[in-house]
Amino acid sequence: MATNTENTTDVTTVERFFDHRTRERWLRRGLYGIAGLLLVFLWIPLAVMVFLSVAQNASTLFPFEGFTLQHYAATFSDPGLMMALFNSAQVATVAACIATVLGVLASFALARREFPLKSAFRTFGILPMIVPGVVLGIALLIYFRTLLSAIPVVGDLFVPGFLTLVLTHSVYGFPFVLLIVSARLYTFDEQLEEAARDLGASPLETFRDVTLPIIAPAVGAGFLFAWIRSFEDFIRAFFTKGTMDVLTTAMFSMIKYGAAPKMNAISAFIVLVIAILLAVAMNLGNVTQYVAGGPDE
Amino acid sequence: MAASTDTNNRSLLRTARGKLALTAGPSTIWLGLLLLAPLTFMVTVSFMNINEAYNIVWQPSLDNYGQLTGPGLPWESSFWNTAFMESLLLSYVIAIVTTVMCFSLAFPLAYLLARKGGRVFKIVIFLVLLPFFTMYLVRAYSWLLMFGPNGVLNATLLKLGMISEPLAVFNFGVPAIIVGLTHAYFPYMLLSLYASLDGIDFSLVEAARDLGASRPAVLKDVILPLALPGIISGSLFVFVPSLGAFITPRFLGQGKVLMIGQLIEERINSLYAIGYGSAGSMFIVLTIVVAFALAFRYVDVDELGGV
Amino acid sequence: MGLTGTAGCLGGLGGGSGSQTINILTWEEYADPDIKSRIEDEVGVTLEITKSTSSSKMFSSWNSGQNEQYDIAIPNNNYVPKMMDADLAAPVNEDVMTNSGDIYEVFKGFQESQFTSGGNTYGVPIRFGWYGYSYDSREISEDHEQSYDMLFNDEYSGNIIMYDNHFKAMSGAALYLGYRDAFEGSSVSLSEDQIEEVKNTMIDQKDMLQGYIAADPTYIKQFNQGNFVIGQSGRNEIVEMWSNGKSWPKMAAPKEGSLAWFESAVVSKASDNKEAAWKVINEYISPQNGASLAKTGYSPSVNPKTQEHLSDEQNEMFGAIDPSQLESMIPFKSVENEDAWLTAWEEIKSA
Repeated sequence: MATNTENTTDVTTVERFFDHRTRERWLRRGLYGIAGLLLVFLWIPLAVMVFLSVAQNASTLFPFEGFTLQHYAATFSDPGLMMALFNSAQVATVAACIATVLGVLASFALARREFPLKSAFRTFGILPMIVPGVVLGIALLIYFRTLLSAIPVVGDLFVPGFLTLVLTHSVYGFPFVLLIVSARLYTFDEQLEEAARDLGASPLETFRDVTLPIIAPAVGAGFLFAWIRSFEDFIRAFFTKGTMDVLTTAMFSMIKYGAAPKMNAISAFIVLVIAILLAVAMNLGNVTQYVAGGPDE
Repeated sequence: MAASTDTNNRSLLRTARGKLALTAGPSTIWLGLLLLAPLTFMVTVSFMNINEAYNIVWQPSLDNYGQLTGPGLPWESSFWNTAFMESLLLSYVIAIVTTVMCFSLAFPLAYLLARKGGRVFKIVIFLVLLPFFTMYLVRAYSWLLMFGPNGVLNATLLKLGMISEPLAVFNFGVPAIIVGLTHAYFPYMLLSLYASLDGIDFSLVEAARDLGASRPAVLKDVILPLALPGIISGSLFVFVPSLGAFITPRFLGQGKVLMIGQLIEERINSLYAIGYGSAGSMFIVLTIVVAFALAFRYVDVDELGGV
Repeated sequence: MGLTGTAGCLGGLGGGSGSQTINILTWEEYADPDIKSRIEDEVGVTLEITKSTSSSKMFSSWNSGQNEQYDIAIPNNNYVPKMMDADLAAPVNEDVMTNSGDIYEVFKGFQESQFTSGGNTYGVPIRFGWYGYSYDSREISEDHEQSYDMLFNDEYSGNIIMYDNHFKAMSGAALYLGYRDAFEGSSVSLSEDQIEEVKNTMIDQKDMLQGYIAADPTYIKQFNQGNFVIGQSGRNEIVEMWSNGKSWPKMAAPKEGSLAWFESAVVSKASDNKEAAWKVINEYISPQNGASLAKTGYSPSVNPKTQEHLSDEQNEMFGAIDPSQLESMIPFKSVENEDAWLTAWEEIKSA
């Protein structure tokens, strides 16, 4: 119907124009409608959960028995859960530090150096993100438990526990730092560094005064992402944590064991914390670019 | 390259080789020891028998694989007639449906985001990303509250008088798992699609329309080809984790659905059957390798940069 | 920041200051603050209790090298032989176990038949319970003939729950099929044909199920919500519901036999504090601590002397169990050919 543009008279052009406008409008509305429904889909379960976290009857909406903050009080006075939260924060911090150091260095290699097998190196670097958690978790568990633990003297270090979990998460967090920081370095004008060097700055000074300030937000965002990934990971931790509990595994047993009130409260609390962290990370840089798609071509 | 001119300075930092070693070296070693070695070890273990004391018997065999598949060859039905293979097929089906769902939901939103900008964009993207970064576990749990014969969905509909009996679709099971997985991985698809649609010059679309191309034709001939890298990478990043899903089917299947990740986990955790578990994991690994190999025929590795 | 974190954690592993620390890997109820502090005072040690939610996890963590971190684990009885086979357990220090003489004869017998090897005993029963099925007496008459048939009755289609564990669920089905003989002896020995039959029966049953549930609280929650009317369950879940004022749930003792579990303490072979560890275990079956443990978990102690420290009502609900009832129970046992069980279980689940 829209193919006969060539031979139309003025009148039909006008008609078509209106027709086009109406359709355009409806299409746009439809698009907005779908987008709105999607956001509802994304948010509804979380909203219900947040609501239930302050509801007297914590397991379902009906019958509604009034609001309370007692679930929060009970949650934050649960020593086991708080210990797990503390463990999670510790593991995430150490693991994200390792991932950040390694990731920043590797980003320089990607952005600044030419070397054989560079694309293999890059693929290798993002692999921890691609390998499903079950596979990575089991592979590391078997590796630590059956292979490394058998080594005399140092073997004991690899009995599943704090260290093995940190190692696991340092690997898992690495790609996030790599992608974010290398993306930043690709857009970075190398001539700035050369100029600094020409003006007599040492490599170290150049790095400190020129390079670092420019990549700092990306490094910060990379660290945050690696941190969040470690903090929210369940399945890898499930296999390599030993008997130490981190927040996700403690929550998993809570769900299995039916502790809905505390679960709602701690979950709602996490949504809040992540919201703040994410807002910070988004202000540190263009998150969407880091999260999807590669470096700027 | 520029560094090689400072021939008088022999410090590690000054040579190109030294710089490469310093930058790429540590992560190569780290990932070599903590990613490549464990995966290689896993492949090895998958070909070994495990004795009663959970030690590896260093004698290559295909026994573990024999346990997973039935007797016979892949084109015979007996080959597929084991719990493992059925679970694998079910996982494929769930992962594929999830991918399709994610795509059909994400495309309109990604298109809208690519055409809009500024404030609306930032708010919407925040609203999408927030659930995404909220613990995976929490999101799976939030659906646990929604489903079930007396879950929020059924309870609300009952309360509103729209239904008189709890609906079976809102009970736990495969549909619930697909919804949970779609919710979990939808943002991967959205962001990948957005990244590729964002690069599209929409004046091309206008031009095609002006030249009289119909809307479906524009979609098919202009937008989809341009968005292909995003579609492919988005699909990979939804399909792969869905295939290996563990928590979502665990919560939303009420024990009646067994996906491959659960099956492997149970073998490992209740019997420490590392031979079986490793061999089972190989099916996931192999699927990923194949999926990526196919993807690389259409898109460049850089475009799969990632999520 | 990262280094301090590591240091802090490593420091934590070092343990208490001065007094001996006994590390225990076990179920939540054992960490009840009252019981814990009483035992600490009595034995003069510090208890560090790590909660676990399944016997298989206790076993697999010990087997993965954590036996060096723990002095004691208290899994279900069927995991004790596994620990013995994996050479993780130390023989019982009989001199210290002064309360052992008081436990029900039937448990002494189980100890003899299941935990003894080469003249040494390796495990001490602590508390017990059993699995049968429970039902909503508002929906199902209390007069019905109590049998596992009820779990396979299509009258309750869509409202039946089975236990989400290969051993418990398949044992239930095997008893339904009349394979009682397989449960005699030191381990459960279903033949391949029997496993096949169990599998097919359970695949047929699957359509009638509301689902498989593993954890007690989930069972209680869903039972309360009316998601099902009959389900395979432990007795302690139902006792817990009674003590919360619900009288409609009833526990049945199927004529084919109930499956009895008893948690049993094991001391790690790698422990440096074996004697203190056995002293701690001895306290868990003392009349007073055993009674407190029974109260927190709604499950009776293996020591009948605990009844002195419980009220009549508590004794009636869970404290005092008629020993003759125990005789007819089938204790959890390790399973011969567990691979085949698990394979069948997976086939049921993926059917």
